[in-house]
Amino acid sequence: MTWQGSLLHIHIAPAASYEMEELAEAQLIAGRGLAGDRYYLGTGTYSPKPDVREVTLIEVEVLEAIAKGEPKIPGFKGTLKPEDHRRNLTTRGVPLNHLVGKRFRVGETVLRAARMNFPCKYIEELLGMSGLYEGLLNRSGLNCSIEVGGIIRPGDPILPMDE
Amino acid sequence: MGSPRIIMKLIVAGVHDEPGDVRVIELRHPRKPLLPRFEPGSHVDVHLPDGKVRQYSLCGDPEDLSRYTIAVKRETGGRGGSAWIHDTIAPGAELPVSAPRNHFPLRECDGPVLLLAGGIGITPILAMARALCRQRKTFELHYFSRSRSLAPLLGTLEKIIGSESLRLHFDDQVETRQDIDSLLLARPRGAQLYYCGPPGFMAAVAQASGHWPDGTVHFEAFQPPARDDAPPEPFTIVLRNGTVVPVPADESALSAIRAAGVLLMASCENGVCGTCECGYLAGQPIHRDAVLSNDARDRRFIPCVSRATGVLKLDL
Repeated sequence: MTWQGSLLHIHIAPAASYEMEELAEAQLIAGRGLAGDRYYLGTGTYSPKPDVREVTLIEVEVLEAIAKGEPKIPGFKGTLKPEDHRRNLTTRGVPLNHLVGKRFRVGETVLRAARMNFPCKYIEELLGMSGLYEGLLNRSGLNCSIEVGGIIRPGDPILPMDE
Repeated sequence: MGSPRIIMKLIVAGVHDEPGDVRVIELRHPRKPLLPRFEPGSHVDVHLPDGKVRQYSLCGDPEDLSRYTIAVKRETGGRGGSAWIHDTIAPGAELPVSAPRNHFPLRECDGPVLLLAGGIGITPILAMARALCRQRKTFELHYFSRSRSLAPLLGTLEKIIGSESLRLHFDDQVETRQDIDSLLLARPRGAQLYYCGPPGFMAAVAQASGHWPDGTVHFEAFQPPARDDAPPEPFTIVLRNGTVVPVPADESALSAIRAAGVLLMASCENGVCGTCECGYLAGQPIHRDAVLSNDARDRRFIPCVSRATGVLKLDL
């Protein structure tokens, strides 16, 4: 599979339920997370539940499909802005669902995709967007661990490694 | 489960003092021109640095979303939240504040509206009065205070509300005093009553309005009504999947449920915010919250303060 994508936005939140804040650059720390983010600090909603949440990603293409209301089934339509979806990184041109178990580069860093992200009712209630849960099923992004840390910035290329 | 709300790191844009040791704080969003919408009666959670959370009513104009306005009375015998705000908060400070929630909404009604406020209880009532003025509804606001010189937000009230709708009652001005029992004795046809104030005031209005029909009396308390119940006793919670969770006398149902691995949001842990609200399917709860309506008490439960006799089956 050959593809080449890019990093559009970086967001962090200091603790559960706090608004996401956009960063112009961020530090990824191998085996830990994104400096300043709730899952790096252990203050996230799901921090007490062990799992891989060092960094989470979602495709901007999903946000665009949701804005159009596609597909018609489940048929959720709404504006889900990059600062609202609560994933850390918004990507373009990256087939996230296909990367489970694989490594890929984001700028100078290397991530390993642990599992597909699963949407939660929590975000639906937090944003007051009923139906968002179903709207994100199977396209809710990726939970990754960080194998090689470093500094990332919007505009960084995202590239496959394990072909 | 009560719905979680976004927490925003708002910036203190203005601070001024009002009579009665009250500080009025205006908050703006650091990046967004408009804050989330709110209705009269809404409150926000203010998150303090020690992790505690305090609820304050929004007393500003719901049509002006460029800012939120809260009024904080310094409670010298309180739990320390208001003192921290008074001593620390200055223009430019950052204050984590939740999106608003409303447990005290104005209902649609054709009849007259009666608003009663005691002291700092004026904060949600002021927002209601603004809305009623704008809708040109018939209402009367009775504001009770020990003295004119101790009545917070009085200047704002007198600017917004015509004298035909505003009744002021000061303990130190005999001619202005009003007996609450006689005020509420006859209920005008179709009338709805809303009240907010300190515990003694709440008890007096509750008693004086006891004969008003269900669904016509609405209130918001700063703290759950004082009770002289027997000390808490242990009881047992059963979850939907059959898990049995013993609740010792010295532990809350909330902490016992959490220890059993159920993810449950909570905020005030004092029975007033409703964040940890959940349903129950069977059993006899002892409700100790100040959130649930009498109606809701047949099926809902606030585990941070409420308890039960024997076994309580929760919808969790």
